[in-house]
Amino acid sequence: MKTSLSIRYAVITVILILIQTTFLRFISVGGVTPDAIVLWLVYLALRFGQIHATVAGFVLGLTLDVIGGDFIGLSALSKTVSGFVAGYFYNEEKMEQTLASYRYTVLTMLVSMVHNVIYFSIFVQGSEMPFWRTLFLYGMTTTAYTSVLSFLPIFGFSRARGDRVLLR
Amino acid sequence: MRRLFLIVQQFREYFLLALLVVASVAFMAENDNQQIRRIRAIGIAVVGRVQETLSFVPNFFQIQRENEVLRQVNLNLADEVNQLREARLENLRLRRLLGFKETTRYEVIPAKVVGKSLYLLRNTITLHAGEKDGVRVGMPIVTDAGLVGKILATSPAYSIGQIVLNRDFRASAKIQRSRVDGIIAWEGGRYSLMKNVPKTLDVKVGDIAETSEYSNTYPPGLRIGVVASVTQQPGSLFQRIEIENAVDFTALEEVFVMKFQPDSARMQLELRARR
Repeated sequence: MKTSLSIRYAVITVILILIQTTFLRFISVGGVTPDAIVLWLVYLALRFGQIHATVAGFVLGLTLDVIGGDFIGLSALSKTVSGFVAGYFYNEEKMEQTLASYRYTVLTMLVSMVHNVIYFSIFVQGSEMPFWRTLFLYGMTTTAYTSVLSFLPIFGFSRARGDRVLLR
Repeated sequence: MRRLFLIVQQFREYFLLALLVVASVAFMAENDNQQIRRIRAIGIAVVGRVQETLSFVPNFFQIQRENEVLRQVNLNLADEVNQLREARLENLRLRRLLGFKETTRYEVIPAKVVGKSLYLLRNTITLHAGEKDGVRVGMPIVTDAGLVGKILATSPAYSIGQIVLNRDFRASAKIQRSRVDGIIAWEGGRYSLMKNVPKTLDVKVGDIAETSEYSNTYPPGLRIGVVASVTQQPGSLFQRIEIENAVDFTALEEVFVMKFQPDSARMQLELRARR
């Protein structure tokens, strides 16, 4: 990866973290907030492969843990595994097709589900909250909301792809 | 090594995932919240269950170590048992001696036997009691069983005792039942002899021999032993009387020295009469 590209991705990452930790709560529905970081992880996995996505998941998760400050390591674990799972779908030849189609949404849904299962299975330990109820109430709804939100980048990717096709 | 490197290279995604998961778990373990406490509890339960399930599989090194520990414990316990047994036996001996001390009318000095010879012609015992304790030459040595001998030499802390099993030992004795007098001596072997007893006098196997009033060294009535055999020797005026000693010299460990001194007035009178 070139240095300029790396800086660009780093800046986008920082902006996304800020959005996730500050602005997304304003569009929460019934206390459920979409996970922009998962969207970004899926994108990174499709663009750069499994290793990059796994490392990015760990770094992003740990950063969120440090900012949140209540359970260091939980997001790092769930997002590391999410990045790893998303990386399975890396295919250099079909990358742009996947990013610009419903596949991105389906993949986001799957990765978000994996993320939430890991996250809530640990989060509910020692509390009165029943796992399945919590997973359904918060995990599945977050997955649904994040999946819905994944349409926004799809539009962006498909437009960029269309432009590139037109330019050829 | 190269093969290992190739394996790592081939499965690098999985190794990376494992590494990062371990790092995440390590970060999580640093927290001290209810989730971590619960997970720790679950972990302990799972590990315990697994250990319980696998407990039938012997761990060679653990067994070896356990064996060493058990051997050491066994040694210590055996030593302790030995000491307790010794203490019990000592307790029994001391109780017997104490009983004797309470019944005897003479003052006695307790002494531990720290050395003895039994297979010479002039056998002695070494006592850990000396002049500082009041031991003097000539004092009788006894146990609850009977006469042991007399003090031969003393030092401030130790003394040497001449025992019955000594060729130089002599003691005036009598048969308790028939009041027949004689002299106790030892000429080697298991038994002492009661000498100078005419053939006509009444001595039977099983009779008890004890010190007599004629002795100026030993108080009367101290048990010496039991008559083991009486033989009429042809061509001799006297009987051969073998005495089984009352004291077991092989197991002698504690004795009393009697503060019995010869009566000097009596000795002087007897000496004068002989002259």
